[in-house]
Amino acid sequence: MIKTIQLLLLLLLLSTTANASGTKPTLTIYTYDSFTASWGAAPKIKEAFEKLHYCNVKFVGVSSAIGALRKIQLEGKNTKADILLGLDTSIAQVANKTGLFAKHELNTSKLVLPVTYSDENFVPYDYSYFAFVYDEEKLKNPPLSLEALASMPKDFKIIMQDPRSSTVGLGLLLWVKSVYGTKAGEYWKKLSPHILTITKGWSEAYGLFLRGEADMVLSYTTSPAYHMIEEHKYNFKTANFPKGHYGQVEVAAILKSSKNQALAKKFLTFMHSETFANIIPTTNWAYPIVKTKKGLPTAFEKLNIPSKMLLIDGKEVERNRKKIVNEWLEALGR
Amino acid sequence: MFKNYQRIKFSLLPGTLISLTLLTFAFVLFYTLYTSQENLVFTQIEPRVWLLLKFTVYQAFLSTLFSLVVGMLLAWSLAHQAKFRGRSWLVALFSSSLVLPTLIVVFGLITVLGRNGWVNQVSLYLFDYSFGAYLYGLGGILVAHVYLNASFASRSLLHSFESIPKEKYKLAKSLNFTTFQRFMYVEWPVLKPTLLSIASTIFLLCFTSFAIVLVLGGSPAYNTLEVAIYEAVKLDFDIAMALKLALIQLGLTTLLVVFSANFRTHISNLKTATQAIAWEEKREVKYLQRGIIFLFTLFFILPLFAIVVDGLGADFSKILQEKLFIKSFFTSMGLATLSSIITLLFAILLSDAKRNLSLRYRLEDLPFSKLFNIVLSFSGNLYLAIPSLIMGLGFFLLSQRYEAPLALWSTVALLTANVLMSLPFAQSVLAPAMQRTAQRYDRLVFSLNLTKIQRWVYVEYPYLKSSLGYVFALAFCFSLGDLGMIALFGSDEFSTLPWYLYQLMGSYRSSDASGVALILLVITLSAFIFLPKLFGGNHVKD
Repeated sequence: MIKTIQLLLLLLLLSTTANASGTKPTLTIYTYDSFTASWGAAPKIKEAFEKLHYCNVKFVGVSSAIGALRKIQLEGKNTKADILLGLDTSIAQVANKTGLFAKHELNTSKLVLPVTYSDENFVPYDYSYFAFVYDEEKLKNPPLSLEALASMPKDFKIIMQDPRSSTVGLGLLLWVKSVYGTKAGEYWKKLSPHILTITKGWSEAYGLFLRGEADMVLSYTTSPAYHMIEEHKYNFKTANFPKGHYGQVEVAAILKSSKNQALAKKFLTFMHSETFANIIPTTNWAYPIVKTKKGLPTAFEKLNIPSKMLLIDGKEVERNRKKIVNEWLEALGR
Repeated sequence: MFKNYQRIKFSLLPGTLISLTLLTFAFVLFYTLYTSQENLVFTQIEPRVWLLLKFTVYQAFLSTLFSLVVGMLLAWSLAHQAKFRGRSWLVALFSSSLVLPTLIVVFGLITVLGRNGWVNQVSLYLFDYSFGAYLYGLGGILVAHVYLNASFASRSLLHSFESIPKEKYKLAKSLNFTTFQRFMYVEWPVLKPTLLSIASTIFLLCFTSFAIVLVLGGSPAYNTLEVAIYEAVKLDFDIAMALKLALIQLGLTTLLVVFSANFRTHISNLKTATQAIAWEEKREVKYLQRGIIFLFTLFFILPLFAIVVDGLGADFSKILQEKLFIKSFFTSMGLATLSSIITLLFAILLSDAKRNLSLRYRLEDLPFSKLFNIVLSFSGNLYLAIPSLIMGLGFFLLSQRYEAPLALWSTVALLTANVLMSLPFAQSVLAPAMQRTAQRYDRLVFSLNLTKIQRWVYVEYPYLKSSLGYVFALAFCFSLGDLGMIALFGSDEFSTLPWYLYQLMGSYRSSDASGVALILLVITLSAFIFLPKLFGGNHVKD
């Protein structure tokens, strides 16, 4: 009897180990939900990467990028994530401080970026400019500066994202900070009656805007391209602020706890390939960081390109983020 | 005396053990929270914390006030309009507000009252005027709180109205009282104690309100402490801040619970005698009362109707195939079943132990029985002092300390929260009912020398089955609709229906959301209607 049990156990053990070595490895990537949407970048990237390497790519969408980081922190050692994709350079330092991320050891000097960026753990994969999007047919005279935005009539409403969860929301806070400096708090007090609601992530905000709940939404200069290419609608525009727009360089990094280090590294390298660069503009609606033969779609020529990219250094952001966010919270709290 | 003691010691022991378990749990929770604060400086409370506190109290005060006024008007109208078709149906419907998932209510309210909602669309079409986006912020929070609590208040108040002896009305009528005098001298004295007790309940519920504020708050300006705790954990991963807020909140709720020690929810499933008040109302008063009933019914039904209309347009074949939906569905149903069974068991044992201490011929005369009774009641009412988010924070810290699969921690945390949430209501229904059975049948049972099992089968169960069914259904629906603890523990590996719905509401897939909302509504209402039938219970007239 005991022998048969032993035999069975041995068989079980064998079968599980055989199984483990036989199954495809799964690369799990945590990111924000618009990346994983059916119209987003994830489906095409998954297909392309799985063609190159023997594996399953599993994207897990969270309502916001910082939300994805918090998810990893909450899950601690048990996290299934191999890669975190979707933070930007402003928040990457905060993530670095958790000590959860591994060095990438890639050469990023040849990437095409409007600013220089290098970090031990995080690698860029695209960039864009924040902007307020509006419907030309509904809003005839859009505000053309942050100042004008706060001076609009009383019933003029915008939707923004929560800077504690969304990199877009944090972007606006840093934008205001880099323009207004110590007077940022006063600016927020002035703007706050115009803020209809504050969402956790970009998708929810943009969804509300498209349903007609607000006049303007905080998004990207590249957002109108989506409506032009996918919907052949030309009424969505971004307001061009002459003093420059705050920028966003989106980055990804590997988790130290990942059991698929080699595969994960291959994915980071893949982010700098032409294939990846060709997918990004019409799925994640941002600028790629690699020049491709194909170039950008023609609709991108119609987009506003800001005169200047405002960007505060990540280390400085990390030092002051709490203060800046609290200033905002207290200004809105009346 | 001693003979009786032999008979009842087995009813004292399990209840005491459960009470001890619950209290130990509360202690562990406190201890975990307390020891987790490493370098917490309490002298330093940021201005934001004051703002949070101010707003939390302010909205709870306004919500309570409006709920009471609306609830009072409604109860008054229903009490004097005792004869119209569908009245009992309407009263039963209002009482279902207790079990409606808050998220569903919010969803329905947005559909009806949102910036692009039905009311605004009709008003735009008719008068070319839109009320705008008042639903985000204080307005929305108040509307949702009044929706849930006014109907709850009206039900308790209606009980009080109906308990007024009809002779008093006869006397008042013969003295030619006006409607106002009648209210002041006949009705108000009876209503006052009820009003105080439900006011304290509603204030506590609104003070710790989470789901409504999370969805309708719209901005950090309209955050309650509960939501701020959630955001500190989930958005900032700032455990120190969350702890600070949690300890402040805990101190305040404990104070509130102590001050409203005579907490009684006054809910019961027993029908009162709806003997009409023999007083023909004046015409204007009659129209006013009917108007109030009509308006509130409209306010109550429209959001539910909106969920049905919106939900029917959803693509159910797609929703039902969604993996996460199936997972959430089974998790929700499993948790609801388990937690309602545990709640029922706990409530029976606690009430069984309690009645020993409040009946003269049992143990009421023992020196410590009063204190013992209070301890037993308090352990059943723990949830009121420890809001679910704080419990969640405690569980979260425990899960970081003692490693176990996250799914296990999540299950334990949710089960505990759901059981504790239902216990106060379960106790307030069962304890008086079990007290009555003892009063009525103890002598008979003791003289027949029935065993414990025989006693249950022949005496207790037939008498209690309707209450048991009601408590079971209540606990089931509470668990099914809860969006509190899950907000901290929810993920795509562990999700419940309300959490899944909340995720959908925040994304593009709004038609999927309305489908899931409809499914949740249908499950809740059918559970509330059909689960009591499992116990073979019809309403027993007292």
